[in-house]
Amino acid sequence: MKVLVAAKRVVDPNVRVRVKADHSNVEIEHSKMSLNPFDENAIEEAVRLKEKGLVTEIVALSIGTIKSEETLRTALARGCDRAILVESNENYEPLNIAKIFAHIAKEEKPDLILLGKQAIDDDANQMAQMLAGKLNLPQVTCASSLDVNGNSIRVVREIDAGNETLEINLPAVISADLVLNEPRFIKLPQLMMAKKKPIEKKLAADLGLDLSAHSRLISVTDGEVKKQCKFLTNLNDVVNVIKANGV
Amino acid sequence: MKVLIIALARNNQINPNLANVLTAAHKISSVCDVLVLGAADLSKVTSYSGITSIYHAANLTSNDLLASNLTESLANIAKGYTHVLMASDSAGKDLLPRVAGFLDMGQISDVLAISSPNIFKKPMYAGNIIAEVESFDEIKFLTIRTICFDAVASSGNAAVVNKELLVDTDNKIQFVSEKLSVIETVGLASAKRIVSGGRSLGSKESFDEVIGGFAVKIGAAIGASKAAVEAGYANNDCQVGQTGKIVAPELYIAVGVSGAVQHIAGMKDSKKVLAINNDPNAQIFEYADYGYVGDLFEVIPEIMRGL
Repeated sequence: MKVLVAAKRVVDPNVRVRVKADHSNVEIEHSKMSLNPFDENAIEEAVRLKEKGLVTEIVALSIGTIKSEETLRTALARGCDRAILVESNENYEPLNIAKIFAHIAKEEKPDLILLGKQAIDDDANQMAQMLAGKLNLPQVTCASSLDVNGNSIRVVREIDAGNETLEINLPAVISADLVLNEPRFIKLPQLMMAKKKPIEKKLAADLGLDLSAHSRLISVTDGEVKKQCKFLTNLNDVVNVIKANGV
Repeated sequence: MKVLIIALARNNQINPNLANVLTAAHKISSVCDVLVLGAADLSKVTSYSGITSIYHAANLTSNDLLASNLTESLANIAKGYTHVLMASDSAGKDLLPRVAGFLDMGQISDVLAISSPNIFKKPMYAGNIIAEVESFDEIKFLTIRTICFDAVASSGNAAVVNKELLVDTDNKIQFVSEKLSVIETVGLASAKRIVSGGRSLGSKESFDEVIGGFAVKIGAAIGASKAAVEAGYANNDCQVGQTGKIVAPELYIAVGVSGAVQHIAGMKDSKKVLAINNDPNAQIFEYADYGYVGDLFEVIPEIMRGL
């Protein structure tokens, strides 16, 4: 089984993002960047399946500026076999990312496309579903466990009310929830080895796709709402606060 | 403007957040259509105001209701509308982007405010940033963050029209089973009170005893931080935060929750927040109306005695 995974370069989850002075966008030029944590879950799962002998090759795909090469090196250090960078300076919306992904998937013909359920920058949670819709492949989003049986996978999917179990035939698109696994730490030898693994580069503009914008960012504002906390020192006051709120 | 709301039934029930999606829809058009997929009791839905027709495709199995199987027929229905809305819950997030992608259109996720029929506000970066975006698509696909819109009034009397929906089940995917939470967290997103626990609870047993006991005592739903879920103290469906549920109860009590950015993203719209933590510098206090510094294992039983 061949697996295609995503490796999106995002602002590190520990960085507090700020709004630019003119509100045109967020200020991230000098921020620490990381591999999207949900993509880490997806990659970890692919690597575990490979360790079980169920996967033969893992290909990582990133779409972004040349700096995404660094993110792909992390994916390779995590256990991907090779990588593809589709280069562009455009900040594509999920639909256009899905188009590029679909294009690469048609070339690579993976049995399984395994992606993070969302990226922690735009939090859109759209790409896997759009990709599955475009490729007319079955999808399971927010997967919390995968059990491969030949040409099908039994997947548990997290839903608001609990979870549901689905049997999905390959080829398929699956998006990873946080609880799918706990990604391992990368050790230095793996980082060294990753430098020798191949990264194929393509230009988004050369793919012959219509990547025109379907939306436009007008402005951004700070969404933070800090409060003035009133510290209580007497537990009776705490009880009264709870009672005052309808208990 | 012609607006359609899609709602999926589960166990013969329609999620009451449909009433909030309707309020969002009414910012675009004073009336809209609702398409209900799956068998459900519609007595409440028919009373919601501002609905022209409720199309009910009752004859659908759990298998039919999978996003992979519904996409094509919903895409055909969507073509008759300018806006297609779903709640930003697990059904909406799964289904709507797929339908949009199938039609080569974008989607705006987690809409918090509607500025005009083509301009919307949505969160980014765990809600730390609010973006205003303009959609150029012929059909606007929107998932609605339902806590940001009030429930619509119940003064309507909409007609129910039975709808035959041809679902494409080509056996690429099959529904096997579902397991609904033992703890009643289904109502987490609409609960009036929530007690949330963090990693400081130390074990699943303590979590169930302290947080569970406290929640039962005050009639609250149970929430948990990502750290508590990862440590196995609470089910994933209790998770409040960027990657879990977004809640806005009247009262949110955070017990032993440090207040990581991703947790704040899920609860900062709560009307009143009470934080109990043994660390006076815990970030959660910056987002709380009331704070108490102390050991939760001593404090919670004491509070429960006082109630």
